[in-house]
This record gives sequence, C-alpha cells and structure tokens, in this order.
Amino acid sequence: MKPHLLALGLLIPVLAACGGENSRQVRNDEYGDYRNSQARNKPQGASSGIVVFGVDRERQAREANAVGGTGLSVNAFLWRATLDTLAFMPLASADPFGGTIITDWYTPAAADGERFRAQAYVMGRQLRSDAVRVQVFRQVLARGQWVDAPVSASTNSELEDKVLARARELRSQSAAR
Amino acid sequence: MRKILLGTTAVVGAALLAPQVASAQEAPTVRIGGYFQAYYGNTQQTGTSATNVSMNTIGASDGGEATPFQASTGANTGAVTGSVANTSQNQQGSARLGHNDFSSDAEIHVFVNGKTANGLSYGAVLEMAFNQQEGSVRNNGRRAVNDKTTAFMDEMYAFISSPTLGQIRFGDEDGPMGGLMNAGFITNFGSGGVYGYWENFTVRPNRTTTSPGGLGDNTKLIYLSPQVFGFDLGLSWAFNEGTGEDVGCLNSFSSVNCDRAYAITGSGVPGRSHALPGRTNELQAMLRWRGNIAGVGIAASAGMMSSQVIRNVDVFGNIVKNLQSPQVYQVGLQATWQGLTVGANYMWGNTSFFYIPIARGSKGMEQYFVGASYTFGPITVGANGFWGSYAQLPGAAGIDGVATYGGQGAPMQKRYAFSVGGNYRLAPGMDIVAEWTQHTTHIAGNFGQQGFGSCSATQQNNCSNRATTQVFLTGLRLAF
Repeated sequence: MKPHLLALGLLIPVLAACGGENSRQVRNDEYGDYRNSQARNKPQGASSGIVVFGVDRERQAREANAVGGTGLSVNAFLWRATLDTLAFMPLASADPFGGTIITDWYTPAAADGERFRAQAYVMGRQLRSDAVRVQVFRQVLARGQWVDAPVSASTNSELEDKVLARARELRSQSAAR
Repeated sequence: MRKILLGTTAVVGAALLAPQVASAQEAPTVRIGGYFQAYYGNTQQTGTSATNVSMNTIGASDGGEATPFQASTGANTGAVTGSVANTSQNQQGSARLGHNDFSSDAEIHVFVNGKTANGLSYGAVLEMAFNQQEGSVRNNGRRAVNDKTTAFMDEMYAFISSPTLGQIRFGDEDGPMGGLMNAGFITNFGSGGVYGYWENFTVRPNRTTTSPGGLGDNTKLIYLSPQVFGFDLGLSWAFNEGTGEDVGCLNSFSSVNCDRAYAITGSGVPGRSHALPGRTNELQAMLRWRGNIAGVGIAASAGMMSSQVIRNVDVFGNIVKNLQSPQVYQVGLQATWQGLTVGANYMWGNTSFFYIPIARGSKGMEQYFVGASYTFGPITVGANGFWGSYAQLPGAAGIDGVATYGGQGAPMQKRYAFSVGGNYRLAPGMDIVAEWTQHTTHIAGNFGQQGFGSCSATQQNNCSNRATTQVFLTGLRLAF
C-alpha cells in the first residue's frame, strides 16, 4: 500500500513539472475550512483582512481594475474624479497614459470679462492626496485683448480638494466591501 | 521502487533547473483577519437533571475521562492516583439547567505572504482562538484559574509554494483528509448545520461529531500538489497528536501525557480523549478532482488516514497492543449548479466516533453525510445530516460507552443528526444566521446519560436507549 502511495505522491509533481497548460498552482484559498466551507485566506469572498505591514497589493489591483481594467497608467479613481470635477469646462485634451487633462478656455456666464483654463496632472497609480495637481490659468479682457491675470492662490488647492473628495466617493462606491 | 525514485529525481531535478519565468519579487505583507460570531441559543436536551451525584466543582479536569481502565477486570479503578493525576475536586451535588443562552466566539488570524524573485510563494498563517477552556470555574481562587475565553493558538504553520512543484506546509494544521481537501461536506449555510455552532450550546457527551476537522491539527508536514488535469493530491505525516512546542509531559520523567509516548499504562481506555494520547505515526492522503461538466461544477475526493495506535505497557514494562491501529477511508462528491450545491460523503474504518481507537476485535465505524444548499442573492438556505454506527468504546462510562470491555460482540452505538438553516448576507462578510439542529445518540439497552456508568432513578439521569439534543440558534457572524 505505502509504495503505491509514495509513487502516486511523486507522480503528481512530476506530471505537474511537464504538464504545461494542464497544470496550475493551487491557491491557498482553495483548501477548505470544512466547518463553514469557507476559504481560509479569503473569508466570505472578501479580501483577507487588514494589511498591517507591507504593500496592500489586493487593494492596488482592485483599484486598478475598478474602471473595467482599462489599462490606465494612473490611478483610475483620481482620473475619473478629475474628469468629473473639470467637466463644466470644455475639454481640450486628455491623455490617460501621461495623466494630463487640459481644458479649453471657459468664460463663466456671470463674468464676461474673464476666462479660465485648467491643467490637471494625475501622477502614479496610487490613490494619494499628493497624486493630483490642478493648475488654473486666468485671463481678463483689457482693451480688446486677453491678458494674463493672477489666480487666487487657494483656487488650485480647492479644485484639488474637490477632485480628492470625488475620488474618495468613487472608491467607496466601487470597493468590494 | 528504487527505479521509480531515481527516475522521479531526475525529472524533478530537470524541472527545478529549467529556466524560471521571470517574476517580480514581493516583500512580505502581514494581514490581520478572522471572524466574530455571537448567537442566541435555545437548547432542549434530555438528561440534564443531575441529582445528588459526584460533580467536579473546581474544574481542573474531567474526572470521568481521566480515570484509568483496568483491562483485566473490565472495571474502572476509580480516582487517578499518583502525580499523573489532574487534581479535580468532586463533591455530591445536583444541578438544573435553563434552555436559553447567549454565546460568542472569535478568532484572529495573521497571514504573512511573500514571493521570491523566482516565483516561489512563501508565508505563514497564525490563528488565534479564544476558547481554550470549555468549562468555567467559579470559586475563590479566580486569580489562579483561566477564564473560558482564554486565548490559545489554533492552527499555526509556514508554507512554501512553487507553481510547478506544489506546496509544503509545516506546522500545526489540518491534514488533507482532516479538512483541507474533503468533498461532499455541505456546510456553507447557517453556522455549518450539523457541524456548526450548536455544539456550543450542548452539554457533553451527546454532541461529539465525527467531522473532518476532528482529526485535529497536530504538528505535521504536509505536501499539496499542483492541480494537473483537474487532479490534486495532498499527503501529510505526523509523528503523534502533539501540537505546539515542548514535549507535553506533566512530569519530570516519561509519562502518559508526553507527545512522544507510544506505550502507556492504561491504554485500554481509548485514546484521543483530552486525557490520553491515541495515534502515532499518522499518514493522511487525499486525492481530489475538480472540474466542470456541462456547466455543473463537480468536486470529488477520496482519501485515507492511517496510523499506529498507543500501546499498553504494564508496571513491569511489558508492552501489549490492545487497541486497533486506526485506518479510516473516505469518499465524497459534490456538485454545484446555479447556486444549488448538493453533496454526499461516505466514511468507514476501524475507529469509533471522533476517530477514537477501539479495542481489538471491535467492529469499526461507517458514516454517511448528505447536504444541500441553495444561494439566491444575499440568502443561502440549506440542510445537512449524518448518520453512522460506531464501535463502543471499551470501558468508558455513560453514553460514550458501556461498562464492559468493548471488543467482539459489544453493541454498536449510533449517532445521527440533521440540521436546517440559512443566512442572510447583510454586507460582505456580515451574515445574519438562523439554524435548527437535532443530534441523537442511540445505544441498544438503557444507559445512564450525563456521562454516568449506569442508570439511576435517584440521580435522574434519564435512563433511556437514546439521548437527544435540539438546538435552535440565531445571531450574526462577521468575517474580516
């Protein structure tokens, strides 16, 4: 009995070594906890708890896939949030790989003599508060010419705050748990 | 054999030396997970009116289990003597139990996971439980006793996993047949049905089931193969039933509690209780197939556990084997289609319930398990049950045995249970649970319940040929 068992035990890894596409690594969550038939490392289909040390790759992957796995090279939540926040202005260009969004000039209905333009940069794949920069440009009409004018220092950071708030909202809507 | 080994070595060596797929190294992460559950339970149990009986009032041990058995006379010798004895304090008394109770339970799990540059995964799992002690103690010496919720380590093991060669686990962990790879046990509803939480509302002994996890998480070396054409294999080896560190001896000399004991005085009493060891040199093997046939997910498994048994050594040092070496076999099958899961499992071998070794000459055991569950949206409902017949335990008292030495001709005992229940998924990880379970132990002829050796009208131990427990429970379970 035991030699047969040993042979069987050795056969599977040997087959696995040359099994090609018919062989796969069994994940830890495929071994049961008979009591509740729940996978040990992934209770109830959620991810396995709170990361206290190291990088939370599951969360990164989840966030990267949050917008249908579009292959964005920047954080999907920040990207979507930036587009949403600047949607009231006409869009001139958006590059999801470089992470830049540039709007065209926009004149608010209440202020005929001035116009605005914004550039936003989304940096990196992580949802971090320093991963988005918004720069607003302003021009005023003087003697028939548009001339550059300073922008209130808080405008940029207020827009960034709005982007971050929207990103947080999007993330909480799409989080797996 | 030698040729097989040599050939195998060559192939495995080639596989190891073959160019590896480039893989990004990952620094280890440490995760905290676990669960919490709390239930209301209503218990209807026969034979719970102990009257004027000797009962343990200090909680140091279970006197009935620790009593050594004299194989020559077939009688219990009474109190344990010598320094091996656990000191319990017994006195005459009576007790009555109500039906309603709350109960809570939690575990905290720590997962360490990393990956090397050549694709090997590695890590460790540490599971901390908080039910180390089953009985509570109410006396003046609370400074020196543990609470019921005392923490202890449940499973703890490390693993190294290769994409092509499989996984090694080493440590305190269930075996391939002891919970890792079984098919057919449908327990994904309620708190697990007949293998669920009802036991925690039930007074022993009419509650012990023979489930995969009953094999225990003794320290073992486990090999888990990759999946090839749907098949994967698990093998495990353990020298004994010991867990954790240290040798387990309660004395400064070789004694019955030592992990490495292979012969002890009094092994005529079945091992595998918390008082005496049972199995040595334990091998588990389980082969599993998982696949999809016409849209129906199928899992099938077949496996076995084989071990040697603790032997008896008398005061003169003569060693005799008076129990059977446990050999248990199991086959299981389950199918899942659109939320409906059905499964069945058949187990047979030469042990009693809970894989307890039995006297030589005794008839073995067989057990059937069936279950079904249906998941629709956030709701899962299900039912499961088992029925089995098991050899009597030699010499043990009460419904766990008869007061005669087991062996040939001794009556079998039957245990059967069924359960219906469901859970509503309030949020990912958070379930509201309701479940009803009945468990019965049936032995031919009248016997005293509550663990007594004989019927007694005075003790009101409900002389009957069966003991029954019914538990309704409802509450919540949070996995995180």
